[in-house]
Amino acid sequence: MKAPRSLQGRLLVLVLGLVAGVWLAAAAMTWFDVRHELDELLDSHLAQAAALLVAQQARDFEDEGYHVDAPTLHRYAPKVAFQVFHEGRLAMRSANAPDLPMVAFGEKFREGFKFVQIDGLAWRVFATHGGERDVQVYVGEQVSSRSAILWAALRGMLWPMLVALPLLALAIWWAVYEGVTPLRRLGRTLAQRRPQALDPVVVERAPSEMVPMIEALNGLFARTGALMESERRFTADAAHELRTPIAAIRAQAQVAMAESDAADRRHALEATLKGCDRAIHLVEQLLTLSRLEAGAAPAPAPVELGELVRRVVAELAPQAIRKGQTIEVVAPEPCRVSGDATLVAVLVRNLVDNAIRYSAPDARVSVAVVASGERARLRVEDSGPGMAGPDMARLGERFFRVLGSGEGGSGLGWSIVKRIAAAHLAEVRVARSAELGGLAIEVDWPALD
Amino acid sequence: MRILLAEDDPLLGDGLRAGLRQQGFHVDWVRDGEAAERELRAEPYAAAVLDLGLPRKDGLEVLAALRRDAIAIPVLVLTARDAVPDRIRGLDLGADDYVVKPVDLDELAARLRALVRRAHGQPQESLSAMDVILDPAARSVRQAGERVTLSAREFDLLHALMLNAGRVLSREQLEQRLYSWGQEVDSNAVEVHIHHLRRKLGAALIQTVRGVGYVLAGDRRKP
Repeated sequence: MKAPRSLQGRLLVLVLGLVAGVWLAAAAMTWFDVRHELDELLDSHLAQAAALLVAQQARDFEDEGYHVDAPTLHRYAPKVAFQVFHEGRLAMRSANAPDLPMVAFGEKFREGFKFVQIDGLAWRVFATHGGERDVQVYVGEQVSSRSAILWAALRGMLWPMLVALPLLALAIWWAVYEGVTPLRRLGRTLAQRRPQALDPVVVERAPSEMVPMIEALNGLFARTGALMESERRFTADAAHELRTPIAAIRAQAQVAMAESDAADRRHALEATLKGCDRAIHLVEQLLTLSRLEAGAAPAPAPVELGELVRRVVAELAPQAIRKGQTIEVVAPEPCRVSGDATLVAVLVRNLVDNAIRYSAPDARVSVAVVASGERARLRVEDSGPGMAGPDMARLGERFFRVLGSGEGGSGLGWSIVKRIAAAHLAEVRVARSAELGGLAIEVDWPALD
Repeated sequence: MRILLAEDDPLLGDGLRAGLRQQGFHVDWVRDGEAAERELRAEPYAAAVLDLGLPRKDGLEVLAALRRDAIAIPVLVLTARDAVPDRIRGLDLGADDYVVKPVDLDELAARLRALVRRAHGQPQESLSAMDVILDPAARSVRQAGERVTLSAREFDLLHALMLNAGRVLSREQLEQRLYSWGQEVDSNAVEVHIHHLRRKLGAALIQTVRGVGYVLAGDRRKP
């Protein structure tokens, strides 16, 4: 059977089924109990009647071939019958008893109770014999009369049930309806909410069973709200950050269009291209960050850190050389970490790019990979201006930039570095470089071997 | 017209300076809030373009400090912050106009001209004195309906005198309004330009107040 989909119907079916089941079980137990007691009582009556007849054997059975038919004294009497045989011949019987012994015996007579069929009717018969064994007494009773009593007892049990069950169903229906009112109220409240609503649901006088559900629901609303808020802030921040490069591109392009002097026009066009590059860089950073924030898990594989650092620095070195900076890589021994090579490269690129970008021309940038015991350490140092304590603390806030650097960075690089490091269980430390005097950034990884 | 541009982004600052120069403005460019405040206190700029996210001192703080000291130079706030509460706050703190990046250079120039005009109590776009009409947007001058060709300096000098009609401007004051940083100023450049203007527009238009400076003849009139 398919379970009803409404809670009310379900409860109704369950409760009614259980009540009916218990009732039927009680009826069955009563049936067996009554039958047992009834059998005991009536059997004892049969035995008693037989005993009386046996006691009468003192009477003479001299008239051979003649037997006495006892009179029927009560309308119930036909339901009981008896026979007395003396020396194999019928001596006395009730009017409704047959001539032949009610219990046919083979060679051996057995005393006791027995069910027999007489004229198509079931009888319970008690057979006994007198002390001299020449008298046999049979006392029988129609089984149907016993059944009638049993059925009467059972009817007494079942009739009220037939009447009570529909009433009970109504009562249960009403009680359950009342009981699930808070659920219905919650359902209505939820249905009436605006789809964007994320404020907590309040159900007055909520039953304790519903409190965990409502709390879970409100927890979900709160988390969704926080997520949407951070999403919204990210979009707004991103839009803001894109405004300045786009404004620069637009202004430079407009200048180029209106400029008649060839050198000035060329300058404006170059600045337009530079603005485009910057906007593209910003968009790429935003995309990387949003992918990281969406929780793209790194696909871990062994990464040879020294090799990767050499590759990234080779890419960025021309930028440093153009600025007149010296850049070097110190990675004397192989050092492997577990991580996503692409993401690790993004991390290294951001650190090195920052060092180049924010250091003066003729500055030194040093990138080192050191394996020490179970840790692998990447250190990026520069001889740039360094950073004030409070600024160091704010690094990694999205779009935070140290003001006055004169560089058009997005402030996203650090957020990206921090996220990638966190995804790889690496720690990031920022300090003053003891050797070069600028910023020293250390990323500490669990080493692979 | 000499204006101050306060913008920390190198590319945008460069573009705005070049664009505004093409429109005939003399532009001084500073890259942080402290410098912006210092320059606006020191020099008689016709107007200022102020970015809000400036290093060292936020644009709004600069604005508030200037207005507190009753420095009334018209300020156009140029910013990426486009939320309505930001605009309201900017205007309440004393900004005369609020423009969200990116901005069209022609529109920026027009807004600056409008700011300067209003700051001098001039409702119309064109300025006039006697039979001379000066159109700042078209950078053209007409006398009795006839177009008169002026050099850029001559135009700027006439523009400054017409904006300050009824006021005597000293040679230094005129120089401050005509030359941005790094531009060579000859000791008698103003006298030379005044001489040329008188030759082209008639001697009566600009009067010399000996020992003090120059003033435009006649009241401001509607064209």
